[in-house]
Amino acid sequence: MERSDEEVAGKQRVHVRPATLRGAAPGTLHLLPCEVAGNRPAPVDCFFTPAIRQGPDGLEVSFRGRSLRGEEVAVPPGLVGCVLAMEEKGAVMTGLKGKQAFSGGSENDDEDEELQPLERDFDRFIGATATFSRFTLWGLETVPGPDAKVRGALTWPSLAAAIHAQVPED
Amino acid sequence: MAAGGERGGAGLPRQYVFLLPECLKDAPKIKSGLMFVKLANPCSGEGAMYLFSMCLQQLFEIKIFKEKHHSWFIDQSVQSEGHLHFATPMDPLFLVLHYLRKADKAGKFQPLDQVVVDDMFPNCVLLLQFPELEKLLCHVTEEKEIDGKKYYKYSKEKTLKWLEKKVNQTTAALKASNITVGARVQSAAFLPGDQVSRDKEEDYIRYAHGLISEYISKELSDNLSKYLKLPEPLPSLPNPPSKKIKLSDEPVEAKEDYTKFNTTDLKTDKKNSKVTAAQKALAKVDKRGMKSIDTFFGAKLKKKK
Repeated sequence: MERSDEEVAGKQRVHVRPATLRGAAPGTLHLLPCEVAGNRPAPVDCFFTPAIRQGPDGLEVSFRGRSLRGEEVAVPPGLVGCVLAMEEKGAVMTGLKGKQAFSGGSENDDEDEELQPLERDFDRFIGATATFSRFTLWGLETVPGPDAKVRGALTWPSLAAAIHAQVPED
Repeated sequence: MAAGGERGGAGLPRQYVFLLPECLKDAPKIKSGLMFVKLANPCSGEGAMYLFSMCLQQLFEIKIFKEKHHSWFIDQSVQSEGHLHFATPMDPLFLVLHYLRKADKAGKFQPLDQVVVDDMFPNCVLLLQFPELEKLLCHVTEEKEIDGKKYYKYSKEKTLKWLEKKVNQTTAALKASNITVGARVQSAAFLPGDQVSRDKEEDYIRYAHGLISEYISKELSDNLSKYLKLPEPLPSLPNPPSKKIKLSDEPVEAKEDYTKFNTTDLKTDKKNSKVTAAQKALAKVDKRGMKSIDTFFGAKLKKKK
């Protein structure tokens, strides 16, 4: 991927389109226990979704002839899941018109208050394409156990809150 | 993550699966000013991604869960790396402290906008736009006011006191969250809360010290260890598991030890419960018990090409 000088220099900012966080449709996510090369469209609802069954020990499905067991995992309280995708470079170079369309129309009142604009022309933009409050975690043959790394990671936000909370003054 | 390339020619753009604090989504009046920027990680000094909300006046750090052999199905698409990104609130003081300590070499009082400057990561000036920051600075600096302008100087004593409070509140959170912190944790990262023996107070403090050390320099971490009166760590493992550890008189950098230990030896494809005799021996020898945040996330990020 080509990089601009600003990107390399660490100057670049990636702005989130706030309206997309509120407006994105709910999505369905599965975390598979295997690596599938490539990022591309896949007919998940043709092959994967209709094959999911409720078995005695969790959800059952098969992928590439291997048996998978899974269960629904909820996003920890206080958090919201979302899928972000970078906008193509140049897609927003149409000037103000494009910016307004994304920021929700009327909400651009104090843009000139800033001495230095937060958005510069070499910056990029990212938007939410889906939101989710749970995803399905899959393991090969068995449901990933309580010591699965992903479950450990989901306990991180509560600990991070304690580490970064302001300390009382003397 | 911003610079992540797209794999394959005809594919979709890369999709990032994020867990964000609800406030970012719900605040009805968030306009612009929510952005990812690269800043100096206060521990390593290398670049890392942070999320700024100028509206909420908050800073978030980005942590990535990554483990081998995972992919996402996202609606009707496949995303090859099964990464899970976390945006969690970050105390901006850690980032400013990095610059205060650098500026302290000059040994004088300076205005903040002369302290927080960075050729590599010029976005650090965004930190100065947090009005709350001035109040926070009293935890780590001496300050003087001349003609209505404030000048700051790093204070080691105050910083250590502040860090001790951080360790204390982290210790309390660890106790509340049933995270196993004793030596056994190294053999099984996350046991359910019903393990038989109770962890000792000192284990909690070490663990918390390890977590806080991810946000401060190695030197400051060592000072904090002394300040907390944690016993001196053993200089090195007798049987280094990593070829990265050089045989020298220098004490082995702690980070290397446990990172290697946690990611290479234990977080292999083998089940955690199957611990070899050698690994058990290592767990006994490594008395530090300092845990890294990597415990929560997968193998270390490879440096960006």
